[in-house]
Amino acid sequence: MMIHQLLYIDPGSGSYLVQLIVAGVLGVAMFFKNIKLYIKSLFTRTPKKPKDNPPA
Amino acid sequence: MSPNAFMHPASYRDPSGFMFEKDGVLYRQVNKVFKEHYDHFIQSGCYKFLTEESRLISHQTIDENLSGDPEGYLTLKPEKIDFISYPYEWSFDMLKDAALLTLQLVKDAVSFGLILKDATPYNIQWHKGKFIFIDTLSFEKYNETEPWIAYRQFCESFLGPLLLMHYHKTSFQQLSLSYPEGIPLTIIKKLLPSKSRFSLHTYLHIHVHATISGGNKANNNRKVIFSKKKMLNLVNSLETLVNGLRFSQQESTWSAYYEEAGKRDDYIDQKKKIIAAWIEAIPSITRAADLGANEGEFSKLLSEKNIPVVAADFDSLCINNFYNQIKSASIKNIQPLIIDLSNPSPAIGVNNEEHSSFLSRCQADLVLALALIHHLAIGKNIPFEKIAAFFSRVTEHLIIEFVPKEDEKVKMLLKNKKDIYTEYNEKNFVSIFEKYFSILERKIVGKTERVLFKMKVINLPPQ
Repeated sequence: MMIHQLLYIDPGSGSYLVQLIVAGVLGVAMFFKNIKLYIKSLFTRTPKKPKDNPPA
Repeated sequence: MSPNAFMHPASYRDPSGFMFEKDGVLYRQVNKVFKEHYDHFIQSGCYKFLTEESRLISHQTIDENLSGDPEGYLTLKPEKIDFISYPYEWSFDMLKDAALLTLQLVKDAVSFGLILKDATPYNIQWHKGKFIFIDTLSFEKYNETEPWIAYRQFCESFLGPLLLMHYHKTSFQQLSLSYPEGIPLTIIKKLLPSKSRFSLHTYLHIHVHATISGGNKANNNRKVIFSKKKMLNLVNSLETLVNGLRFSQQESTWSAYYEEAGKRDDYIDQKKKIIAAWIEAIPSITRAADLGANEGEFSKLLSEKNIPVVAADFDSLCINNFYNQIKSASIKNIQPLIIDLSNPSPAIGVNNEEHSSFLSRCQADLVLALALIHHLAIGKNIPFEKIAAFFSRVTEHLIIEFVPKEDEKVKMLLKNKKDIYTEYNEKNFVSIFEKYFSILERKIVGKTERVLFKMKVINLPPQ
């Protein structure tokens, strides 16, 4: 769908290209962060649920 | 335009519409050319959501073309903002909260199929105890394949000044005054320390951004295909960065003033008692200004009496601390501002009309000028005559404290300075202020030598 936009501010020369680069780098950073979290989760015990009746 | 409608001097950039004043009321016109976007903004529920969340100023739609302009599609009457302030008068945490509001609005807008087409702090005002977005026409239909048009504007107007204050631990308001459209990225990059490159988000949004914007690649106009996911990643990255920024200046010359002043017997309590009684006797105060407010102890006194207050001080740390106090106590009627009274904000922008001077905005029924006179007269060498004339231009009632030369604080100011202030005494102070004001009361504060005066301006015939 074509949207007729009223662009009145200058996005800045190169600003669109920068956003593409930034988004790309952030995507890669997030990919590795997720792998790191996954590996970490293999070596970390999930906390046990608290018991309903605590010992007296 | 109809003959008694006047376009606001700062409302000329955006072809979507403009602000105008008619019979003393401020309206916003939506132009026909923006109809498609505005209708979507309303019909999508975005306007309703944002006003309910108090993130956007609400308005009434007027069933009449009040401007008389044939390009007009709708006339809106926005809720009135009591006092207009500008980002170069805000402290670090004020600018940070305005930045976070802007990013939140981008995310909100995207969820309704819209985008925020500009990101300038001038679209944000302090209203009823929180920052609120005031430009209803900034929301445009979102094209998911395009990047954020206001990204550079955000980096230059919000991120840059915040990063400079974060890394240098000092205030940079004056730089924002010089660059009302945002500090150019190349300048921000040069002013930031090298260690800022080790923060991934800062490196990307400032260093890489500045390099590419300034390089030959910048002229490459090839079409960039973006996505909603990338857009949200970008905004989340900016949000993470802004959230992590701190103004960690620990202490300034005047930041522990009350703590120290409170130790002087019951000086602060006595002063409060006198002022509270004097305020009671002044009928119908609709707006007050506390000039030289420090961390706002006396602004709170006025606020508790339901008097809206502009609390101004030149010390950015004091104003930042006071802002955080106001926020945590949910005080709704105090506007904290960084103002140097020896150089108050000038009128700036096209024709010097876009952003008005502090003096033209600070029209109050009552001004408190407590423990201030020695800073202006001795600290800044401003003669009593000029100080009295200044106060008479901004207020009808004045409560002012005279601090004599024998006072410890004045001695401190004179420590490294030659005492050329032979005229600085109470007698001269009174005789000069009497040219502009009727002196109604005089009271010595507790066991000190400081004297409080209650004055009312004399209506001088126009010259």
